[in-house]
Order: sequence, then structure tokens, then C-alpha cells
Amino acid sequence: MKGFLERVVVIKRLWLAMAVAFFVVLPFLIGEGWLSLVNEMLIMALAASGLNLMLGYTGMVSFGPAGLYAVGAYTTALFLTKTGIPFVIAIVAGPIVAGAVGAIVGWFCVRRTHVYFALLTLAFAQIIWTIIFEWYGFTGGDNGIVGMPVPDLLMSISHYYYFSLVVVVICLILLWMIGNSPFGKILQAIRENPGRTEFIGINVKRYQLIAFVLSSAFLGAAGSLFCGFSDSVFPDYAHWAKSTDMIVICLLGGMYNFAGPIIGSIIYILLSKLISSYTMYWMLFLGIIVVLLVLFMRGGIMGFISEKLSSKIQEIRLRGQYDTGS
Amino acid sequence: MRIEVIAAQALSGLSVGMVLFLIAAGLSIIFGTLKVLNLAHGSIYMVGAFICYTFTSTFAHVIGVFWWTLILAPIATALVGGLIEIFLLRRIYAEEMLYQYILTFGLILVLGEMCKLIWGVGYHTVSVPWPVNGSVPILGISFPVYNLFLIGCGIAVFVGLLFFMHYTGLGSTIRAVTYNREMANALGINVPMVYTGVFMLGCWLAGLAGTLMPPMSVVALGADMEVIIGCFIIVVIGGLGSLPGAFIGAIILGLLTSFGIFIVPRLAVAFGFILMIIILVIRPWGLMGKPE
Amino acid sequence: MILEAEGLTKSFGGLNAVDDVSLQIEEKELSSIIGPNGAGKTTLFNLLTGHTPADSGRVIFRGRDITELPPHMICRAGVGRSFQRLNIFPRLTAFDNVQVAVFSAQRKGGSLFSRAEKMLREEADEVLESVGLDDKKGVQGGLLAHGDQKRLEIGIALACQPELLLLDEPTAGMSPRETIETTGLIEKLARERGLTLIFVEHDMNVVFGIADKIKVMHQGRIVFEGKPEDVRANDEVQRIYLGEEKT
Repeated sequence: MKGFLERVVVIKRLWLAMAVAFFVVLPFLIGEGWLSLVNEMLIMALAASGLNLMLGYTGMVSFGPAGLYAVGAYTTALFLTKTGIPFVIAIVAGPIVAGAVGAIVGWFCVRRTHVYFALLTLAFAQIIWTIIFEWYGFTGGDNGIVGMPVPDLLMSISHYYYFSLVVVVICLILLWMIGNSPFGKILQAIRENPGRTEFIGINVKRYQLIAFVLSSAFLGAAGSLFCGFSDSVFPDYAHWAKSTDMIVICLLGGMYNFAGPIIGSIIYILLSKLISSYTMYWMLFLGIIVVLLVLFMRGGIMGFISEKLSSKIQEIRLRGQYDTGS
Repeated sequence: MRIEVIAAQALSGLSVGMVLFLIAAGLSIIFGTLKVLNLAHGSIYMVGAFICYTFTSTFAHVIGVFWWTLILAPIATALVGGLIEIFLLRRIYAEEMLYQYILTFGLILVLGEMCKLIWGVGYHTVSVPWPVNGSVPILGISFPVYNLFLIGCGIAVFVGLLFFMHYTGLGSTIRAVTYNREMANALGINVPMVYTGVFMLGCWLAGLAGTLMPPMSVVALGADMEVIIGCFIIVVIGGLGSLPGAFIGAIILGLLTSFGIFIVPRLAVAFGFILMIIILVIRPWGLMGKPE
Repeated sequence: MILEAEGLTKSFGGLNAVDDVSLQIEEKELSSIIGPNGAGKTTLFNLLTGHTPADSGRVIFRGRDITELPPHMICRAGVGRSFQRLNIFPRLTAFDNVQVAVFSAQRKGGSLFSRAEKMLREEADEVLESVGLDDKKGVQGGLLAHGDQKRLEIGIALACQPELLLLDEPTAGMSPRETIETTGLIEKLARERGLTLIFVEHDMNVVFGIADKIKVMHQGRIVFEGKPEDVRANDEVQRIYLGEEKT
């Protein structure tokens, strides 16, 4: 019996290693069009995982993650096109600025909870969008900024893919560590019962703010990566539609599971490309999927899987008890 | 600025504000009683507008068709709302806020796309009906009678709703459920039915707005998102759940937008959000709401 | 004297929930606050722990004025509390429920990059054992039986390493047997760890079983205080409790 559980754990590590190996050899297996798509999925997985630190771990429903994502993207774009600083520095600047903006926005937002918190995040995101959209002289307005000076080494699709892969994997490892740290446990406690968490000696607002800032930084990192990937930035990076994409991805994959946002990104992007190629009513399908998810599968895909898995393990455990008479 | 221009801007802002008031009032009432922020409320308004267009164009030969539509379209919209409440919304009342929002967001998509499917992507018009067509001179400027009619409707509905809520048995029942759901339940009130009724009332208001707006503007996709953000701002300023609050909030937003466009056209959009943030940080229950 | 309250008052919309209450609690004392429903007991607790701001009055803990402090600072100062309505972390395991409180008490909340699983296990296990839940540590809090949830609640409060522990109806909803077990557990833990205890209770067996001192509240005021035998013999108390007694 113990052997079986041990095997499950080992299999988990095996799956992880296989997944990483898979992503590493991918460029040799598929064409550039598909590789580009996978790159997009990786970046979205980072964005959604960053959002999930706030959403799934801490229970803070934000309507405006796209705002911080766009801040990261535009920071990198502006640094690259208006100054001569090296590419990598411009990429690193994205999450730093996004984190700083997150600190300011977050400071206002965490003063309130629930629906008021959500509306505050919406208002700030809309302000960010308006600034980007209207400040023609600086941000290019609705024309966006096109043509990023990307270093030659990263010009090819497969090279940028590896770059993204490395950055995303590093960030995901960081997020994993944060989620499984005492800090991460406290965030989950806040999600479960903020009042009780207050009275085990935790300054809940401070922790929520830190979660907000960290989330913003990772969202900004994704934005920066995407700026280099798509060679351009546009105001709709900050649009509420992008925010809802990210929220739906977290829900679809499973908010209470680290792998959830990652799985969600892959499936969501695949589905959207697939359905969009057949019909112009992709939004209708998305809406129906979303409604069905909320009604019938709130734990998302990973929630569904881990439920099935744990009942299987229970089953085997019980059977084991009967066999050995224990 | 000349007084005529100010007056014209003010009246124009007020008439738009009144339409927004109707939608926001529905949103506010629904939030106040059901404790759900119906993100899809703008979509329901849009559905109402499309229904209005369909009625008026299909029965264009009927005399006074607009006035018949004014009675029927909001009811039809309310029925759509009823179906949504019974089959979808009911299941998530007990759930966390996040799921409620995602569900209503899903409805935005579904309703929006259904409109696209049924009515296509073009825009449609509804002509201003007699006898409120034409214009009157106010302070030397020609002002559309219809806009005055809208302002009148808004005030009439506001007064009517207040009367309904505070002076009728049904209104008291709704208020009882709003203040204390468990107690109302214990007193034998059929709470689920009240919830359905309130949601339908909210949708009726949105449908009314959807019928009153087209003669002033066009019926097209995208109307849902145009209004919902404005409605959020209104209910935050006025206070979630407060009817007088929605009225005042609508007036403020209407005036702010029409004058804001004058002063700083490009950032006028952001004014509403900045005001929303200020209110949420300083006094989240709005001007007329109650602190939790 | 470990806790002192002077002239605490709180009214809600004209109704005095707590009306000019003063009390002194000695160290290591086990005292109980009793009174009919609506007497203001939970509100008094909320005033002491900073969950509700007082209209007037002061609360002094170990010589320090804690009246204006936010709840989390009061907890850090050494005041623990269990809540009347279940206040646990439903989707976390029983172990995590307690461990998170240990993390806070040991100031580990700032650790972002260490593995929580491996930290402070013995401390968390010890708390779980002391409330008799070590065999259920992997079970989600929300799935435990009611009595176990109440004990988890006490465990969380204990994990904060308080000097003063406020228990709000710790045996509510328990069967008679569970009540006796939990009462014994509370007394044992309090004596072992040298805790000062204030508990609100409706079950008179519990109260008279372990309280050193009893305070009777009625309509927001403390109308009588004294040793159990004095309270039992007092006519006014009997009158207040007419119909409320649960012996």
C-alpha cells in the first residue's frame, strides 16, 4: 500500500521530467507555426499562474490583471524603442515596473474587500487602458508600438521559444516555491477565512498587498516576454477582455492547483484557435463553456482530475485493507 | 461659455443619464436584494433594444407601434431575465462571488453572440415616435422633445419605483427579503420567488431603457459594454442597492461626461473611473448606501 | 492582574450591547462569563480582542493599553480566541490549520522560499495531539465532525501561544459526552500551560465544573460576580436565568 503511494509520488516527478524534456525537444518535432503557438501558451501560462497567486491562493478576485500585464509589455517596448538599453535589461524592467505599479494600485485596492475590491481593480485597469490608448505621443495610442529591436540571437522562432521557456520555467519555479512556503500557506488561510487569519496574528491587508505586488510582477514578466515575442504592443493588452481570458483560464484549469493555470492556458488557447477557425461565434462557445464550468466543474480540470485520483486512491486503500486484513 | 450651450449640454447629459439610471436602477435593485452584481445587465439592456427594433420594424404599419412596444418589449425582456434567473442564477447564489461573476460574464458572451446571430452585425434605427418628435426652443437653442420626454420618463419611473418599494405590500416584501433573508423566510415569504421577481423587475427596467434609447441613437452590438461600465460607476457613486443613489449617480455621471467631453475630451472617459476609485476608497457604500 | 477592562461601552443603533463594563482578571485564573442570549457576551469578547471598536472605555493587558490596537496586534500581544461561529480554514487540512497558526506565532510569515511542509512539524503535531486530533491531521477541516471542528478551533487558538485565552462557547452543539471530554481537555490544557482562561458558556455543568470565578451578564452589564457557590446561591441570578437554565 505504501509502495503504491510512493509510486504515485515518483510518477509525479517522472511526469514533470518528461514534460520538461518534451518542451525542450519540441522545436525538433513540430513546425514553426505550432511552435509559435506553444510559445504563446507558455507566456499565457506564466500570466495566469501569476494571477492565480492572487486569485486561487489568496482568494482575491481581480478584474484587472491585464492592466499589469500591459504595463510590463509597454515598459519593455518603451525601453527597447526609446532607449538603447540591452534587450535582457528591458525584459527585466517589465516585471519591476509592473510590480511597482501593482504596489500603488494594490495599496488602494486592498483597503476594500469583495465586490468593492473587484470594482477598484476594474477601475484602475480601465484607467491604465485609457492612459495607454489616449497618450498618443508616448505610447502610440491605438497604433501601438511596432518593431522591437530584438537581438539577432533571439530573432528566430525557436530561439525565442527557448528564451521564453527558460524565463517561464524559472518564474514558475519561483511561484511554486512561494505557493508552498509558509507565506503561501498564510495566503491560503486568508482565502479560507480572513477574519480568523487576522486573529492568528496576521496583518491580512499587508499580506494581500504583497500577494498583489508579486502577482503584478509575474504578470508584468509575461507581458514583457510577449512584447518580444510578438514584436509589438497594443492597447488591447490592457483590455478587460484579456483580463477575463486570464480569469477563465485559471477557472478552466483549476484555481486550487498549481498546474491548473498552466493546463488551462494550453487548452484555452488550443480551443480558441480551433473553434475560431471554424466559426465566427467563438465567443458564444466560450460563454457556454464558462457557464457550464461554473455550474458543473468549479474545480476546473485539475480539480476534476485530483478528485477522481483521490477517490481511486481511497478505493485501493480500502481494498488493500481488506486483502491484508489490516 | 454661453448659458444656452451649458443648458444644452446639461439637458443632453441628463437625458442620457436617465436612460443609464433605468439600467443602473435595475442593477442596483438586483444587487441590493440578491447580493449579485449582474455583469450581464448591459447585455439584457441590449437584448431589450433589439426586441424593440424587431417589434417596431415588424409592426411598423400599426399606429402608435412605438407605444405598444414600450409596453411589450420590457415585459419580453423581463421574461428572458426570468428564464436566466430560474435556470442559471439560482444555482450559484450560495457560491462565492467569483463564480457569480464568471457566470454573469459568461452570460455577456452568450447573450451578445445570440444577438449577433439573430440580428447580425449591422446597426438598426427606430424612428422617434409621434407626439414626442420634433424640437422645442429652449433659451434660443433647438432642443429635441424626445430628450425631454426621456428625462420625464426617468423621473416618473424613479418616483414610481420609490412608491412601489415603500408604499405597497409587494414592495415591503422585497425590502424585507433585502434586509434579512432568513427572517423573511421564517415569516413564510417565498424567498426564491421574490428573488425571481426582483431579477425580472431589474430586467424590466433594463428592457425599458432598451426601448427608450433607440430613437435617440442606434441599435447595434457593443451597446452592452458601452453601458455596463457607466452603470458600475453610477451604482458605486450612488451606493449599491440604493435607488435614490442610482438616480443621483446617473445625474452626476451624465453631467460629468457631457461637460467633461467639453473640457478634456480625451480623458473624459477616465473621469468616471477616477470618481469611482475615490468613492470606493473613501466611502465605498456610496453617497446614499448603508455601511455594511 | 493580567487583564483589566474599564468602562467598556458599545451600542448599536441606540441599543447598549455592552454597558459600562469593567472587569479584572487574575493570572492563571479560569473565569467564566454567563448570561442569557443577547446579554452582550460575544460583543464584550469582540471589544476585548479588537474586532469591534469600543465607544468608550479601555482594555489593559499586562499593563499595556490595547484598546485601539487592531486584532492581529492584540493576538501577537498574547491574547488568543476561539469563536462562537466556527472559524477554521475549511479547505485546509487539520494539520495545515494548526501549522499556519504556528507559522504566524513563530514569525515565519515572511518566508517565501522555504518549504512549508518541512517546517515546524513537531510544534504543529504537538498542538494537534493536545486537542486529540493527530489521527485526523490529513482530513480537510470542513469535512471533520462538528465536535472535532470545535477542537480544531481550540487547537488553532492554542498554536498562537497565548497567555490569555478567550473561548466563546467552546462546547456549543456538542453531545453530552463530547462536552465532558472537551471540558476536561480545556481544563487540562489551561493548567498545564499556565493559561488564563475566560470562557463564555451556556452549559452550567461546564461552568460550575471548572470555573474559579463567574461573572454574570445581563443586558450589557455585569450584574454579579463571584465564586461558583456564591453565584449558585444568588436569587437575582436565578431570576435572570428563569427558563434559561440548562442543567
